[in-house]
Amino acid sequence: MSDFEKTGSALWEAPATGGMRVPGRVFASEALFRGASEDRALDQVVNVAHLPGIVEASFAMPDIHWGYGFPIGGVAATDVDQGGVVSPGGVGFDICCGVRLIGSELDHEELRPRLEGVMGRLDDAIPRGLGKGAVASKRLLDDVLAVGASAAVAAGFGTPEDLERCEERGSSEGADPSVLSDRAVERGAGQLGSLGGGNHFLEIQWVDRIVDEEAAEAFGLSPGMVCVMIHCGSRGLGHQTCTDHVKSMGPAMKRHGIEVPDRQLASVPVQSDEGRRYLGAMAASANFAWANRHILADATRKAFATGLGSEVAMPLVYDVAHNLAKIERHVVGGKERTLCVHRKGATRAQGPGHAALPDDLAPVGQPVLIPGSMGTSSWVLAGVADNPAFDSAAHGAGRVMSRTQAKKQRSGRQVMEALESDDIAVRPGSVNLLSEEAPYAYKDVEEVVRVCEAAGLARPVARLRPMGVVKG
Amino acid sequence: MTSCSRLPVETTAVRLGREDWGVVTTRYETIDHTADVAFIAYGSTLEELFENAAFAMFDITFDLSEAAGRTTRPMVADGDTPEELLVNWLNELLAESETRGLAFSQFGVDRLEEGGIQGWAGGDPIDAIPLEGAPVKAATHHDLAIVEIPGGWWARVVLDV
Repeated sequence: MSDFEKTGSALWEAPATGGMRVPGRVFASEALFRGASEDRALDQVVNVAHLPGIVEASFAMPDIHWGYGFPIGGVAATDVDQGGVVSPGGVGFDICCGVRLIGSELDHEELRPRLEGVMGRLDDAIPRGLGKGAVASKRLLDDVLAVGASAAVAAGFGTPEDLERCEERGSSEGADPSVLSDRAVERGAGQLGSLGGGNHFLEIQWVDRIVDEEAAEAFGLSPGMVCVMIHCGSRGLGHQTCTDHVKSMGPAMKRHGIEVPDRQLASVPVQSDEGRRYLGAMAASANFAWANRHILADATRKAFATGLGSEVAMPLVYDVAHNLAKIERHVVGGKERTLCVHRKGATRAQGPGHAALPDDLAPVGQPVLIPGSMGTSSWVLAGVADNPAFDSAAHGAGRVMSRTQAKKQRSGRQVMEALESDDIAVRPGSVNLLSEEAPYAYKDVEEVVRVCEAAGLARPVARLRPMGVVKG
Repeated sequence: MTSCSRLPVETTAVRLGREDWGVVTTRYETIDHTADVAFIAYGSTLEELFENAAFAMFDITFDLSEAAGRTTRPMVADGDTPEELLVNWLNELLAESETRGLAFSQFGVDRLEEGGIQGWAGGDPIDAIPLEGAPVKAATHHDLAIVEIPGGWWARVVLDV
């Protein structure tokens, strides 16, 4: 096990030894750190510290757990002008997987008697699980890959105002659809506007607690408000893009003389042909993901209108990615530098006054969306000044139990009955799969949020409780 | 279709590093991974190992007990090392499964040599096969291993789900 020591109230650090170029830093409470120590997540923090050009530290957010290559919750920034690398494994197979939160003019008490009608409409409207089936036609694909969510708006999905509340306005800079493989495009063609499976979901929630009234008001959240949270990404197109580039980077690493402790950390200099090709393909895949969540949000609004028999205002609160590498400017060692910031299961969290925020969010900071598990709370946080990890925060509760173990605890049917007994309506893509995603398989999201605040990563704004779950 | 391997190893013994191996009567077994899914596949030959690893990946997502696998697709993959070849073979199968809408249950390796593999996969329409686990996004290189043992091989693969 790696040599980590507690160096702050919510910080654990491993010094740079051996081939590590920077220390490892994990933001965690005693309990969360103990959990991370039980598998190989901490070793993965150390492995990431070996990446060429990495600066400051190899960071892990409070929801850290064992992934493949990077830990889930890993954040690593490399100096682009000093040979810093980009690693497809630091983004993951689900490129630009993220979370979208939609508010509404509905109160949860008002919706409760009509919830079943809305859930039925969502069940019909949201394609999920394996196979084909999508809200949008494949004709839209080329435009989406080039510009992202705005192509979906132009095609009649959602409104231009929505784009103001998307990270990067729902469009990743530098997208180059021409470098996507034919197979990646083929996999994405029938999936634009689909949820996927695994831990992806669409949840009807309500605001049960507000702890920062000013930020909540700026975000458009009020007590009792019905919200919808959507968690999904770039589907097969992103999976194939990552697969393609991890494969091609094997020989490319040899050409660049790069060695990494785990083949899944394959990486090449950002400023190399292979690096530029990956970033162009990654951005095009991210554009698919921004548009995918946008189109699903439009389908959600229509399902609510049909289920309730009248139009309901459902403005976008925010849309944020948690699997992405971005070229950003940050101060390191007293000097502003151009960095490639990898966030693998970590959310961007810009503090008040950040130049990238729209005017109405600038005074309070960027919304940070942290979904819990089915049956527990989710949280909205806000970015804070002087974030110690390149403006990053947690992205979820984080798993604590393997899927195999979770299945042994209860059957999918039992999990569904337990949720329904808590007044949470469930529409699973497959009842069998519910047990893999059961609440007991995840860490305590409240603890993750407490550590985010204690570590200066983000501050809590509002808590959301689930009313209905549409699972992939 | 390949049958169960009968190797002089006991499945749990592989993980424990024991040397008093018994006999394997399974094509694969899943092993714990916090977020994703991992398995150890067995084969009395490298060809059988690749077939059984493919079976493992699809058997984790689908209930293949009633699958006939009558629609066959030719498969090829390349890779500089046996490990690279295994990951590429599995990822080729995943992509083919998704684009053709097939849940594969039957696998054959016709030729396995340095740098390449040729074979086939037989599947049924995805909608006809019940889901058993989370869909697999990709086979990864993390913790990947192929190990020769007396009478055969085993391979460990971590899948992103």
